Amino acid sequence: MCDIYIAVVCSSNMNRSMEAHAFLAKKGFKVKSYGTGEKVKLPGASADRPNCYEFGVPYDDIYNDLLEKDKVYYTQNGILHMLDRNRRIKPSPEKFQVSTERFDVIITCEERVYDQVIEWFGSKRSVYNQPVHVVNMDIQDNHEEATIGAFLISDMVTKMAQSDDLDNDIDELLHEFEGKCHRPILNCIMFY
Amino acid sequence: MASLSSKISITAAQNQLIQWINEAGMTEGSRRADSLRKAVELLLHQCSSMLPQYIENILTYYCDKSVDIRKLVIAFIEELSKQHPQFLPKIIGQLRQLVSDSVIAVQKRAIQASSIVYRNTLMWICQGASETSEMQYVWKNITELKLVVLNMIDSDNEGIRTHSIKFLEEVVLLQTPSDGAGDEFNLDTLPANMTFIDRRALEEESETIFKLLVKFHNSQHISSVNLMACMTTLCLLAKFRPKFMPGVIKALGDLHTTLPPTLSQSQVNSVRKQLKMLLINLIKHPSSNDMMPQLTQLLIDIGMSTQEINKVLPKDKRNKRVGEIKNGDAPAKRIRIDSPQSNSQGSDSNSNSRSDFNMFDDDSMPSSVAKQLVPTEDSIYEGLHNVDDVVNLVTHTLVNYLPNEMPSSFVTAYKPIPNSGSKAQKRSLAKMILALISNKEETVPLPVVAPVPVPVPPAPILSEVSSKIPLLRDDEEKVTLKNAVAKLQESTKAERQIESAVSRLMEETRQDHLKEEERKQKDKEKPVPPQTPSVPKLKQKVKLLKLQEITRPIPKEIKERLIIQAVERILKAETEAAIGGAAQIRAKFITIFASSYTPELRELVLNYILDDPANRIDLALSWLYEEYAFMQGFNRHPVTLQPKVHEKHDQNYNQLLCALITQICERGDPLMESSKDMLLRKVYSECPVVTDEAVDYLKHLVTEDKVALLALELLEELCVMRPPRAHKYVASLLCHILNENEEIRDVALKSSLKIYKRSTDAVRKVIEKHALLYLGFISLNHPPPELSDTRGVRAAWTDEMYHICLNLVMALLAENEELIIEVARVYGCAGSEAKRCVLRAVEGPVRAGAAAHTQELSPAFLALLDECPRGAETLLTRLVHIFTEKAPPSHELVSKIRELYATRVSDVRFLIPVLTGLSKKEILAALPKFIKLNPMVVKEVFNKLLGLQNPHEENSPVTPAELLVALHLIDPSMADLKYIIKATALCFAEKQTYTQDVLSAVLQRLTEEPEIPVLMMRTVLQALTLYPNLGPLVLNILQLLIEKEVWLNKVAWEGWVKCCERLVPQSGVLLASLSARALQALGSSPRLHRALQAHVAQMPPHQRAALPHHVIAFCQQEIAPPQFVAPMGVPMGVPAPVPPPMLVEPLPPGME
Repeated sequence: MCDIYIAVVCSSNMNRSMEAHAFLAKKGFKVKSYGTGEKVKLPGASADRPNCYEFGVPYDDIYNDLLEKDKVYYTQNGILHMLDRNRRIKPSPEKFQVSTERFDVIITCEERVYDQVIEWFGSKRSVYNQPVHVVNMDIQDNHEEATIGAFLISDMVTKMAQSDDLDNDIDELLHEFEGKCHRPILNCIMFY
Repeated sequence: MASLSSKISITAAQNQLIQWINEAGMTEGSRRADSLRKAVELLLHQCSSMLPQYIENILTYYCDKSVDIRKLVIAFIEELSKQHPQFLPKIIGQLRQLVSDSVIAVQKRAIQASSIVYRNTLMWICQGASETSEMQYVWKNITELKLVVLNMIDSDNEGIRTHSIKFLEEVVLLQTPSDGAGDEFNLDTLPANMTFIDRRALEEESETIFKLLVKFHNSQHISSVNLMACMTTLCLLAKFRPKFMPGVIKALGDLHTTLPPTLSQSQVNSVRKQLKMLLINLIKHPSSNDMMPQLTQLLIDIGMSTQEINKVLPKDKRNKRVGEIKNGDAPAKRIRIDSPQSNSQGSDSNSNSRSDFNMFDDDSMPSSVAKQLVPTEDSIYEGLHNVDDVVNLVTHTLVNYLPNEMPSSFVTAYKPIPNSGSKAQKRSLAKMILALISNKEETVPLPVVAPVPVPVPPAPILSEVSSKIPLLRDDEEKVTLKNAVAKLQESTKAERQIESAVSRLMEETRQDHLKEEERKQKDKEKPVPPQTPSVPKLKQKVKLLKLQEITRPIPKEIKERLIIQAVERILKAETEAAIGGAAQIRAKFITIFASSYTPELRELVLNYILDDPANRIDLALSWLYEEYAFMQGFNRHPVTLQPKVHEKHDQNYNQLLCALITQICERGDPLMESSKDMLLRKVYSECPVVTDEAVDYLKHLVTEDKVALLALELLEELCVMRPPRAHKYVASLLCHILNENEEIRDVALKSSLKIYKRSTDAVRKVIEKHALLYLGFISLNHPPPELSDTRGVRAAWTDEMYHICLNLVMALLAENEELIIEVARVYGCAGSEAKRCVLRAVEGPVRAGAAAHTQELSPAFLALLDECPRGAETLLTRLVHIFTEKAPPSHELVSKIRELYATRVSDVRFLIPVLTGLSKKEILAALPKFIKLNPMVVKEVFNKLLGLQNPHEENSPVTPAELLVALHLIDPSMADLKYIIKATALCFAEKQTYTQDVLSAVLQRLTEEPEIPVLMMRTVLQALTLYPNLGPLVLNILQLLIEKEVWLNKVAWEGWVKCCERLVPQSGVLLASLSARALQALGSSPRLHRALQAHVAQMPPHQRAALPHHVIAFCQQEIAPPQFVAPMGVPMGVPAPVPPPMLVEPLPPGME
């Protein structure tokens, strides 16, 4: 399995999934990123007032919106920087549940996201009978953890890419990786 | 117009298509894949009209060597089946081939496509638009394909298993009638008029497959991914085919209580999560309505609260659910609640025990209750709802029919009942009871039935036992499975072969060990059927053939025997391996086997080597190296071969080495005898390290007559060839220097010396140490055990023993002169016998050493002189003597000895060797001592002093004259006169030295002495006797003596008189000049008297007148009467001429 098709999924397709997306893309993997949340949520002026956008609204627009709202604040908390990075990678955040692509591996960054992905698979019947490995690794939603998470994901994906027969090796591979990264890993197999 | 343009575009597309197909044919690899992909696109979507024409062009690539292209073909087939099912007859064969592809990725893709193709095939058949023969052909192929995939669930590859699960899911879905939603394809949509399709068989098959899935799902060795895939599949089936719901829920419940033990914690978490998700999914689904209680129960078991469950439930279900909870499962809930994770044995046993109880109660119910009734399944089912009846049944059975011991068949057959209390379970119970009743009524009386299914043992034991024997259960199922599979596979020969191969394998591996158990198993199989009579008989059980489940690990003994047999075969294949060019690999194998496995194998290989050691010695050596590598930790045993704690692998090397050499030596094989030398030499010289034991053995070999010399040689070689450890080996050689056998002794000594000459300091030290040890023996009172152990306990020393002890050190002396100091030390303490031996022994080497250093003394010897151990003076003397034999004593030596003589050694003999180096004064001072020595020694001393036997032309510090004078001047108190006389006699004996001149000089010198030396006159007389020509000189001396009034000295006077007598007549003059007193004293000698008279008479008258009157008077006197002879009382008699033999030399006058 020389070129595996990977999806990295987090809640808003902003921070964790995009960090990993950037990282994996740089390493030359075939990768896409998604969010599973209802909306794209970004921290707002206060905790109870997040900035919400629909999936599909371009990063660029969000960037400009926030720039307008409070340039200093959003520069300081790094959101603008993040958006800037994101818009260089792809135009807009995408929602996982509406994607029609078929991946080999889906990596989720949070248990809730993993649940949502599995639920989505459970809600529809498989047509192609093509298996996909869903793997969850918990990553906290902040810049530092996202970077660390991206490294770990990259490690894991590299290992997967090195495997001749991922379906056969995945159990052991993840078990080994889990021992190395000291984070609990969830995984299951789903079918498109 | 429109048709024209479309025609044009079609033509363009066709051209394009042809071009791409051609390109695909001409190129290779990825470019071919590209072209082909484009062609396929075009063919499928744009010019499907050309499919009949070009389909073959694409399909031919199904066996292309590129994986991508094969996958592409599969995708093409998949797509065709969907869009153009009329081509199914053309593509089905290829798909069938691709499913069995050698590449796993292709296989997986093909399986994936198969489920779609299968679905499309059924739909195509339903349409019935094609010819029956085609349909039949396709159906036959697809059935075969199905069987192939069915068996893939047992594949070693997890991915293939996953895919086949998915495929089977599809098969089950398609082959079962749908209950409700009619939009899906299902069995009912199949037309009934197809003769070749047996719907009932299909449905049965689907149920078998479902069971197989459940079985797979519950197997112990399933991987987490496949487990989850299987769970998903089962839930999907339950959702769409509600008739599977109970089975699925039971399976999930079982899974929840007993997760496969191989899962890691996070895998367990994943599985649990999946389980929860699936259950929630199920409970939401309308088809699960009937199973609500079980589902909620399971969810509660998983750890969800009722609130949470309520939350996920659709509204219309909620009330119903609450009702269930209220009237139903309270006890179950209570029991299960304490085991939310219920992975533990304890919670298992809880639930088990409960269900056991119910089950067996119910089992025996008909015997008491149902008799009067017409027993039908329904009536029993109803009866089971009555709590009182059940209680009665239980108590009755417990009291009456419970056997005292649990029947073994129960242990094997029993399985926990997971869904006890549920409707489904009650129903199946009722069924079983009915079967039992009818069975019993027909044939068997109750007591006979009783022992079979009635045990109510404590559950924990049960589950323990049953967990210990999972295999038996599997085996038993395997039998039924075999039938089922066979039925499914009637036409598939290949499958049957696999099947028989599997069973043959089983047979072979277990044949010995399992015979007994198989017999047991057969015994058990007989009673089993009545226990659950209906269920297994109703539907064929199908089980997966998964190797690790259906086989038992080969017992250790068999494994070991197999290993041994395998190695035996390898050992036998010597010539074959050599012919095939695999000799080296074979050798490598053998060494690895021998070094890594059991002692039996070691034994085997060792014997093999020893059967023909001459040719297999190289194998032995490489084995030795292997063991050495293990011993040193260069190699590690693979984990599976880790040595047991009690096995000392470190000693393997040593054991092997010792075994080799002892076997070579002692086997007594005539074949080996001849090459023994070579073999031993090879082993010893080529093995990586010679252990202490091996050296000891060699040492021991020396005592064996036949090989003694060889062993010695080997020891020597070891020392020479393996310098780093030579100091260890050499000791074994050295001990044989004391050997009683002279030949061995000599060889050992020679070898030791050889080694000593060319070895390192460490080795030399060891040899020296031994030499000194042996040397030290001689100072002991009794020979040490090393020497005397074979010669009696308290043997006395013999010269030979002394020699043996000295051999080594003496041999070494030539190499290391410093040892002489030690020799001297020991010599000092040794007994006289020993000393004598040392003196004798030391001569040779020292002489050799002395010859080497002619010019100067060796430093060691000088050091010895400096030290001079107590008691070793004689040795020193001897040494000095030897050193001075060939060369004149050096100045240094002389001064050392002089010093020693002055301080330590009082023995004058010590000086003898260096006499010529001493000053005159010293020699003269020591002279009195010299002359007292043994006559032989004295002679030697004089020889030296007189320069006789003087090879070195050295100049003696004393001239002969001086020596003789000195002798005369020795104070008589220092040395007895006797010695001096002997000494002078020695001088006189040397006529060559003591010539007339010398003697005259001596005499003159003596006369000058103020006092007349005691022996002077004696010497004068002797000189006169020797040389009569000395007469005038003597007269002169006598004259001088007269002046000294010699007559006052009795001894001298006697001598004087004798001289005069000798010199008559010349002495007359002297006599005439004597004083009156002197003449008086002369009276004793009539001869002189006469001589005087004669002298006077012949004198001229004038002279005569001048004579003193006392002379005249004396002359006129008569010769004295005899009584007047010898005033000293001893007549002098005639002095004999000095006799040459010293023994009869005359004593000086007055000394007799």
